[in-house]
Amino acid sequence: MRNPAAIDIDLRDTVSMCSLRAGAGLFGIETTQIREVLGTTSPQRVPLAPEYIAGVVPHRGEILTTVDFCVLLGLERRAGPGCVLVLDEQDNRECFGLLVDSVGGVVTLARSALESNPSALDPRSMALFDGVFHMPAALMVHLDPQRLRPSRLAESGMFAAARRRSYGGQR
Amino acid sequence: MDELTKEFVAESQEGLERMELCLTDLEKRPGDLDLVSEIFRTVHTIKGTTGFLGFRRLEKLAHTGEGLLAALRAGKIDATSKLIGALLELLDRLRAVLHLIETTGAEGARSTDDDRDLIALLVTLKAGSIATTANERPAPAMSDAQRPVSPSDQAGSSAPAPPVLILAASTTQDRTLRIDVEVLNQMMNLVGELVLTRNQILQSSPAAQNFPELARRLNNVTAELRESVMRARMQPVGHLFRKFPRMVRDLSRTCGRRVRIEFEGQETGLDKSLLEAVRDPLTHAVRNSVDHGIEPPERRLLAGKPDEGVVRLRAFHQSGSVVIEVIDDGAGISTERVLAKAIERGLVTPEQVASMTQREALQMLFVPGFSTAPEVTTISGRGVGLDVVRANVEQVGGSVELESRIGLGTTLRLRVPLTLAIVPALVVRSGDQSFALPQNALVELVYVTRRDADSQIERIGASELYRLRDGLLPLVWLDRLLDLKPNTSSESQGFYIAVLESEGRRFGLVVDDLKPPEEIVVKSLSAVLRKIGLFSGATVLGNGTLAMILDVSETGARAGMRPVAEAVKAVGAATEPRTAGRVELAPIALDTFVVVYETWKCGLGEGRRGAWMAMPLSAVERIESVPIAEIEYAGGRPLLQYGGELLPLEDEDEVLLEMAAANKPRDAGATATILVCSRPGERPPKRVGVVVRRVVDVAPGTLLDVTAEVCAEPLVIVKDCVTTLHRDFASQGARPALQEIA
Repeated sequence: MRNPAAIDIDLRDTVSMCSLRAGAGLFGIETTQIREVLGTTSPQRVPLAPEYIAGVVPHRGEILTTVDFCVLLGLERRAGPGCVLVLDEQDNRECFGLLVDSVGGVVTLARSALESNPSALDPRSMALFDGVFHMPAALMVHLDPQRLRPSRLAESGMFAAARRRSYGGQR
Repeated sequence: MDELTKEFVAESQEGLERMELCLTDLEKRPGDLDLVSEIFRTVHTIKGTTGFLGFRRLEKLAHTGEGLLAALRAGKIDATSKLIGALLELLDRLRAVLHLIETTGAEGARSTDDDRDLIALLVTLKAGSIATTANERPAPAMSDAQRPVSPSDQAGSSAPAPPVLILAASTTQDRTLRIDVEVLNQMMNLVGELVLTRNQILQSSPAAQNFPELARRLNNVTAELRESVMRARMQPVGHLFRKFPRMVRDLSRTCGRRVRIEFEGQETGLDKSLLEAVRDPLTHAVRNSVDHGIEPPERRLLAGKPDEGVVRLRAFHQSGSVVIEVIDDGAGISTERVLAKAIERGLVTPEQVASMTQREALQMLFVPGFSTAPEVTTISGRGVGLDVVRANVEQVGGSVELESRIGLGTTLRLRVPLTLAIVPALVVRSGDQSFALPQNALVELVYVTRRDADSQIERIGASELYRLRDGLLPLVWLDRLLDLKPNTSSESQGFYIAVLESEGRRFGLVVDDLKPPEEIVVKSLSAVLRKIGLFSGATVLGNGTLAMILDVSETGARAGMRPVAEAVKAVGAATEPRTAGRVELAPIALDTFVVVYETWKCGLGEGRRGAWMAMPLSAVERIESVPIAEIEYAGGRPLLQYGGELLPLEDEDEVLLEMAAANKPRDAGATATILVCSRPGERPPKRVGVVVRRVVDVAPGTLLDVTAEVCAEPLVIVKDCVTTLHRDFASQGARPALQEIA
């Protein structure tokens, strides 16, 4: 279900963003890139999966792999349920979930207000963020779903620091 | 590529497939005009459509072919095998061009894409025929296996791609499916019904009076919809067989064999995705049969067999799965050569070989890289073989068996489930998470109490082994393997061992708890999770939670289990080895798991000490150890109070009498082993306890179809030994049911 709020006022400059929160930060994803927002859910953990995988949730007869955005940011894994956004994976016609703390409203912003990532950012955030919107009250970090794809995260290796606790004598 | 072209490619490929069949048939019946007409029609249709779509190259090819076929139809020329060779070549070329169109959108204009040689050949054949000379009479089918290289062969070698490659490359067809409009209409109806039901449910509430009614309707619609979608996905196995006549024809020529291919049960339905999965293994098996199985004509004649060999493909349904057999009447597999090779490769020692049965020897063929072919040919013998076949088939939950008799032939049997989408599974709990285990890998379940755990689990180095009856079973702890939090709450309780078997490995998976088995709907995982390797999918359980489906063979491999041919048990009993049997060993049902037990009274009472008997596992509910003091007698018949009911005991072997004689009555120490069995066909199931001397093992067995002259008792082959099946329960040879052995 694409969000109908993709208001296309004929000013081509505007872009409608869905705001979300993770930790203390404010983030935004273009509404056209969001397929659906699932209410509060707690994904089922998958043993041996990389740390940034929150788990799987059922979605329209498919199993949706969900990325834990807080873990990507280097925050603690949340114990309780969170909010899952269903995002498209452009080329593969697959989709994946993004687990965040909460989803806010839709804001319309001028595309020109988007600035590229500040150069002082740490490499982790550099890889995740896609620029920053200056808003009157705060900064909103722009997220590109393509950068958060589980397959891309796996390739980058930057987040692969999966937990390696003790393995029993089975190996 | 636009819709029209796509449709054209799919239709033409289908037409060419039919044409291929007709051509191979025509070779056997050169005078059959119906076949010629059918071929003519295909080529004509292609010609017509290509002209319309503007594919000049295809049009030119089809046009020349049509001219030749017209002459053939008019009886101006005869269907010589040279002509058929040329037509097959035309077919390959048409296919190659279609493939080019499919992948690139154009029909190819490179210098290698030149058809002049082929067109010239077709024209010569047509022209040469007008002045038909006496020296080119219609050749009988396949008589020119050793003919000198003809122009058509040379042209063949310069064709854009070898025929085998093209066979594997037709892709459009794999993605399209023909469905009866009736079925589609019915599905649409059901979907409409589903929408209506949903609307009503949305307006209703769980408290409403009509809610149970609505839920029931939803249930019915879902079940019907599922069934009709499954039916639409079912494809006759014959689709798969279509390409084989041509393949066998080409192969037999390259190998200098004379081979006929026969089909049986082509209409057997199989899920589309599974059809694709067995395509390669089957191709491989047929190739093996022609190249290795069937002997050259001279050698066949020497052996007293007709010079033409037969490869038979046979498909049929059997208890929830589809069996496809590739049967050849060739030389069979020489066990000595297999074993010699195995020793040479260092896979087994000569001492081990001495005690190996034929079946175990044939198992060696499934070891990766194993090949007995004395020389490597282009077709097979490279040793990439049966192991790949087995891996492919097991991947979709099937199994592979090999049977062979020297001089009589070899049978390769592929067994695949009817559908992949929904499978019966056992749900287990470990570390507070649920996991699903496919039932087909499950052999039995064992409950171990904490008290027994220490005494029954042995440690050798890092590995742990469980003492299961006479054998040692390697254990894998699921919570340790998956790095889960160990379940502390059940510290005081026991745990379950699921005995699993896959790819020749047998191991016990230790889990915390069992849940009732469910029919699960298999969902695929994303690439990141597939990479973990231990899970073949996920499913939503009845209670709404998600569970990962364990990949049993990978679990075994990860835990370091090596496939070992099961240790040969010395059998000092009244059984004959299978290889020496003179009885026609025609298995009627395979892989029936049986409980093997020892008896001193075999069948009709004339057994020897230590003889074995078997009981179908499906008939056995539990195996109990009962203190002899608890057995009571009424009217001279032994009885047991068992779970609130009276269980009559059957003591053919007179174990109870012996025990009673050896021990003082009411001696609490001695226990009797009792198989709690339910009689077939009685509802509610009536139980009976069968007193046995000792349970030997639970093992897969092969039921034999024997006539009364051979043996009045039903027989089963277990561990290569002919064993008598308990006659009252013999008809229960079905799937292994969920059993609990305490």
